[in-house]
Amino acid sequence: MTFDSATVAAFIDGELDDLTARRIAREAASDPALAAEIARHRALKARLTAHFAPIVEEEPPGRLRALLVEDRVDTSLTDRRAAKRGRFAPIHWGAIAASLVLGLTIGLRPWMPAADVADAGGTLVASGALAEALDTQLASNQPADAMVRIGLSFRDRKGRYCRSFEGGSLAGIGCHEGERWTLERTLRGAPRPAYRQAASGDLAVDAAAMMAGDPLNAAAERAARDKGWTD
Amino acid sequence: MRFEEQLVELLPRLRRFARGLAGSAGDADDLCQAAIERALKSRDQWQDGTRLDSWMYRITRNLWIDERRAAGRRGVHTPIDDAVTQIAGDGAAEVEAGALRDDVDGALARLPDEQREVVMLVLVEGYAYREAAAILEVPIGTVTSRLARGRETLIHLLGEAA
Repeated sequence: MTFDSATVAAFIDGELDDLTARRIAREAASDPALAAEIARHRALKARLTAHFAPIVEEEPPGRLRALLVEDRVDTSLTDRRAAKRGRFAPIHWGAIAASLVLGLTIGLRPWMPAADVADAGGTLVASGALAEALDTQLASNQPADAMVRIGLSFRDRKGRYCRSFEGGSLAGIGCHEGERWTLERTLRGAPRPAYRQAASGDLAVDAAAMMAGDPLNAAAERAARDKGWTD
Repeated sequence: MRFEEQLVELLPRLRRFARGLAGSAGDADDLCQAAIERALKSRDQWQDGTRLDSWMYRITRNLWIDERRAAGRRGVHTPIDDAVTQIAGDGAAEVEAGALRDDVDGALARLPDEQREVVMLVLVEGYAYREAAAILEVPIGTVTSRLARGRETLIHLLGEAA
């Protein structure tokens, strides 16, 4: 690798001049070590972004807005501290309800046949629970015990939306084409979540090689899903 | 736009930043509240036309640092502080790789304060190195070196694929 890790980090952070950035992107296409380093950093950034994204979408608590909007309510910090212990704000109940629904629709389907893959005229496409997860599940908001975990979502060079996933028997990358998810990469999945991490490293490298630009952040992922993964 | 309206608009992002610094939702909103109260009190110091977000982030971050130092002086040692003294920086290498792969908050909590704030500003809030340096009032080189250490520790704790 001819680029040190500070340069790779600066590349991910958009801090490089165009010329150097283009050189890195070009070199990554033929240098697996560099591609892996880029994928590592992209994955960290995507993970952090996804982790904190839900906070921005929450309605800020009334006590904070109250400090800034017209009819000010006097709220002393001490009182608030005492009051908030052990209390769920409505937003929390909303989140709990939402994850229960998601969990019920995606996570708990032991009775479903394991037909996650179908053959469409010689092309491998996702079906069943996998297709449903790729269609609906958001990386930023998936139940811990989901049967299929979504990793990165991104656009590839053909402009398709692609998503990496890991499930019980299969891991891979699916790209949305027509109304279906064409499976561009498939790896054997791991039976238990604890073993899944090994596959995700390979997938992250593949994803980095396929992706045009940065992975979708949580907001973009949600927007793309809401539009049915088409433009 | 009125000063207060701009702050309302900034609030969701500020809460995210505070959550990353403070860890828990309750502490983060307390920090936001203190920052807003401080901003309203010292609004004369903000120069119209300069970026309100950077100014608010600086106030928030400084209040948080003050609180951490005060807690340190009072001898309040949260589990987070213990974890930092044990495994922050080079010591992180001794913790099993991927030990916190499902726990982003836990991994962030193990970063020393000065790395955590840079990670939040650049990787989560999306500030340029130069802007982060201005908010933290440190040289750019300090930002990049703290960021590099923070990144390596997080990748290590969360596992290769982060």
